[in-house]
Amino acid sequence: MNLFLSAFFSGTARGAIYAIVALGLVLVWRGAGIINFAQMGQAMFTTYIASTLIISGKSYWLAFVIALIAGAMLGALIDILVMRPLSRVHRAEALNSPAMKAAIPVIASLGILGLLQALAGMFWAGQERGFPAPVAIEGLIVAGRKMPFTAFDIFTIAIVALVLVLTSLFFRKTGTGLAMRASALNQEVAKLSGIRTTQVRVLSWMISGATSSLAGLLITPTSNLSPTTLDLVLIIGFTAAVVGGLDSLPGAVIGGFIVGYVISFVNFYGTPEDIFLAILLLLLIVLLVRPSGVMGTKQVRRV
Amino acid sequence: MIFFIGVLSITLLTGASGQISLGQGALMAVGGYASALPILHFTLNMWLAIPMAVFVSAIAGLLLGVTAARLSGPYLAGTTLVIALAIPSLANRFESVFSGDVGLSVDFGNAPSWLNKAIGEVALEKWQLIVTIIFATIALFFALNILDTRTGRSWRALRDHDIAASLQGVNVGRSRIFIFMVTSAFAGMAGALYGLRGIVSPSVYAVSLSLSLLTAAILGGIRNISGAFIGSVIVVFLPDWIGTVTSRFSVPTRISDYLPALITGLLLVVTVVLSPGGVSGAIHHKKHK
Amino acid sequence: MTLEISHLTTQFGSVTAVDDISFTAKASEITTVIGANGAGKSTLLRTISGLEKPTSGSIKWSGNELIGLKPEAIVRLGVAHVPEGHAVISELTVAENIAMGGLFRRRKNRADLDSASKEVYELFPRLEERHKQLAGTLSGGERQMLAIARALVARPQLLLLDEPSLGLAPLVVEQIIATVNDLCRKTGLSVLLVEQNAITALGVADQGVLLSLGKVVADRPAKELRADATLRAAYLGY
Repeated sequence: MNLFLSAFFSGTARGAIYAIVALGLVLVWRGAGIINFAQMGQAMFTTYIASTLIISGKSYWLAFVIALIAGAMLGALIDILVMRPLSRVHRAEALNSPAMKAAIPVIASLGILGLLQALAGMFWAGQERGFPAPVAIEGLIVAGRKMPFTAFDIFTIAIVALVLVLTSLFFRKTGTGLAMRASALNQEVAKLSGIRTTQVRVLSWMISGATSSLAGLLITPTSNLSPTTLDLVLIIGFTAAVVGGLDSLPGAVIGGFIVGYVISFVNFYGTPEDIFLAILLLLLIVLLVRPSGVMGTKQVRRV
Repeated sequence: MIFFIGVLSITLLTGASGQISLGQGALMAVGGYASALPILHFTLNMWLAIPMAVFVSAIAGLLLGVTAARLSGPYLAGTTLVIALAIPSLANRFESVFSGDVGLSVDFGNAPSWLNKAIGEVALEKWQLIVTIIFATIALFFALNILDTRTGRSWRALRDHDIAASLQGVNVGRSRIFIFMVTSAFAGMAGALYGLRGIVSPSVYAVSLSLSLLTAAILGGIRNISGAFIGSVIVVFLPDWIGTVTSRFSVPTRISDYLPALITGLLLVVTVVLSPGGVSGAIHHKKHK
Repeated sequence: MTLEISHLTTQFGSVTAVDDISFTAKASEITTVIGANGAGKSTLLRTISGLEKPTSGSIKWSGNELIGLKPEAIVRLGVAHVPEGHAVISELTVAENIAMGGLFRRRKNRADLDSASKEVYELFPRLEERHKQLAGTLSGGERQMLAIARALVARPQLLLLDEPSLGLAPLVVEQIIATVNDLCRKTGLSVLLVEQNAITALGVADQGVLLSLGKVVADRPAKELRADATLRAAYLGY
């Protein structure tokens, strides 16, 4: 029973993090039509920045906030320096097939990932580091009994819940949120309504950048920080987004939790190596049975 | 050389038929293990083992194709990436067969004695090169054949106008699967040949391999074979070139270690933004201006 | 506040959709652009609203040159385009679609935006009834009304209407056209109406521009076009 509870709570905490990662991926997917494979590279980079600040004596929370801001700015940079020129080139180039058009931004994001990893290696000498947490990551004792979850788990879940509520409110209730939703759903009509779709797109990248920074901050305390630590998380996040429905923000959240639980239980009841296989199986099952994901609209990606 | 064959698989898959796969490295792994195991356990001759590995890879490609042919764009990319991660981890999972991380050390045999007698003692590396060139030529022959014939044209039709193609009677699903099979065969050949170097282990076929293959294909030019060649040359020799430059300027190791990766990543991004057709595309562009 | 189009040409590769078109749409009038399918009418509107780039020519609205501006900027100059077909966002509610139309004015003039929304709901009471429904669940006629409402909430001075009658029942078409006509006469809104249904269009318009294969064939007061039987037979089929 104890094993089950541990797996469950661990799954919830991890699921929360994966939900955030998936959220970021879906945001950029809807806002810019791209799967940003560099997302976790951005997270790694900003977490290194935070780590450097903390090591030099600054408070955790200051580093936290700076990491988020850095994440947003990095996201904006990527859009402005790479993605935007990319779409301009597209119209001119002879490489005009729809398949290539879709493939090129993916390849670009992979290039950016490599770039970020190399830069991180250069700046921080590729050392693996630990990363502190604001609350204990070891066992939590309440009323004399050892809990199957830790204070950090609670912290993670709380922060993620807060972020989800805030983003939900943002998208449903604010004008900018409406503008972002409209641009993602039908760019032409949005433009004709006077919405500055380029600004909206940068905003998607910025929010996604900030959320991925958050994910990085939440993951690294329980693992470690190196240029390649977060690669696996990207795959998991992608699977989560697909499971939930690539077009749906709530879907990303649900997908994140589903994947979180699957991984947690596989981890506790099986071996860590099985995780890759479990993810692959999950991905394949979803793609074969219900490609639009749990919450996605029925419009399947390929007839 | 071996890299070139691997890159060819990407050129054919992505450039010619428009499907993006980040898992070619994993397919190379299949090829690698498929040839290494028989040699180890059954002392199979290399000349038999490698074609067999190619065949096995084709089957793997068939499986891959069946699952992936229905996907496109990001779904395809993501799924193949997951596969790229999953397959090497299989080696760890079933340690008894695959010897996990340590890998299998294989001896593909030295140059045959008649060759030694004919042209003098052939060093191991030279022999490896000869073998590789032989296989590369075969691969090249097939690749050229495919690209220039009706098969190639239908693949390109698939890439550019799949709906129109299906209306013209091209069975999209089956063609896609076939393409996966063929390109997997190429990858498998490359993977098997990698074994020539003596070791077959997960780290040889890591995700970075898949990415390097893709990078090479894009840098050189995804649309044609000369592009694949140019790209392979760049990616394989770049670390060495950079090494010579940095050693002259006594750059700290911190930077020089990561410089190749940085430059490769940078090149990839710049290429994609400025000249998606890669080097060969740019040359082509200039010629036809 | 006139719309002056001079020597406008828009090409798609080797196809010239709009071929050296020149005409003027006078302020506070309904100018209708009619012609058979493929005559270039939609492309003309899309060029004006900035969705398509012309190869040459000029479009002057209230003295501003529109060519080279992004659609978002053109909207801010008071030009609203209601495209044919998918002019509303199905996954958003009626209220959200209308709100979307006024987003860019929100910060500057919230009060005016609120009253504009009220007016638009008064104009199309059916939309008010369904304001919480997803736009995708509306009938064809209601969707067209919503599309127009979305454009109107920004209080444009020029309304570009692309084939509002497409796929709608005659009664609904009458209603919509009558509403637009009313709006023009009462508020001075200039309307550029593209229609295949020439009878209806010429019935309310002041000026008629007849297009054929991208070129202007006739540019005359609507009354004259209505009366010209040979022209009608040759280009409009009746």
